[in-house]
Amino acid sequence: MESGMDIFNVLGIPALVAVIIGATLGLMLGIADKFLKVELDKRVETIQSMLPGSNCGACGHPGCGGLADAVVEGKGKLKDCPPLKADQEKLIREYLANAEGPNGERLDMSKV
Amino acid sequence: MHDFIGLFVGAFLVQNVVLASFLGICPLLGVSKKQSSAFGMGVAVLFVIMAASVMTFAIYHNILAPFNLQFMRTIVFVLINASFVQFVEMFIKKFMPPLYKSLGIFLPLMATNCAILGAVLINIDRRLSFGEAMVNAFGISAGFLLIIFIFSTIRERLELSSNIPKGFKGIPIALLVVGIMSIAFAGFAGMGS
Repeated sequence: MESGMDIFNVLGIPALVAVIIGATLGLMLGIADKFLKVELDKRVETIQSMLPGSNCGACGHPGCGGLADAVVEGKGKLKDCPPLKADQEKLIREYLANAEGPNGERLDMSKV
Repeated sequence: MHDFIGLFVGAFLVQNVVLASFLGICPLLGVSKKQSSAFGMGVAVLFVIMAASVMTFAIYHNILAPFNLQFMRTIVFVLINASFVQFVEMFIKKFMPPLYKSLGIFLPLMATNCAILGAVLINIDRRLSFGEAMVNAFGISAGFLLIIFIFSTIRERLELSSNIPKGFKGIPIALLVVGIMSIAFAGFAGMGS
């Protein structure tokens, strides 16, 4: 019985303390996240999921997320992506032609 | 009062965190290409060190010491530092997007910044009182801010100068500059003791 208490003292209390401190800090960060959330352009995420996703970097941007960012900002072109097949590109173009950004504007499709 | 001034000067200049203790070298070389981002990094480190010092002091003396868990201080302090860095990252992302972009990977990397962990561990290991710990933490973080800002101004000028030998361009000449700054700061050694 006494050795059981020893194990609790040696392992249980430190683990408990670490868990409590970690959980408290995590909770505080979660609350902070609610107040400091940044509104992201939803189109970026959608385009990223429609791109090949190989993160090859051949387009000159840091991965597919980088290209999706650049396309929405009007700085990148879909044809820069070598692995993107024609029918996939058509789907993305159709999506972008109808999707509105956070400011309610649509992209100029001649520049995508 | 005199003690506090001595402690501050000691942490700020004599035992300067970058040039005498050689902590926090990673952001010093990584974010010192532009004055504005260097200053932003310095202020972010200052905030994290101050906030983490209050938090670690409270947790060490009220939770770890009563349970005889002093040996866990490093892992718990890393946890606290990482949380504050995460908070600072959210704050900068929300209110200062250009600074967020210019700091890049070095902002989350602050979680493993040894200047921050060093500052909170020194506070505890030297058995400082709360007031002394705050003065010490402020001296360390202000020292970091001072050095990274001075260093960034020198680096901006180095970028423009044309008579640097080819093999020394970029990081090598920057490392030499840090070395010379460190020698200059050795002049403060022994002051205040």
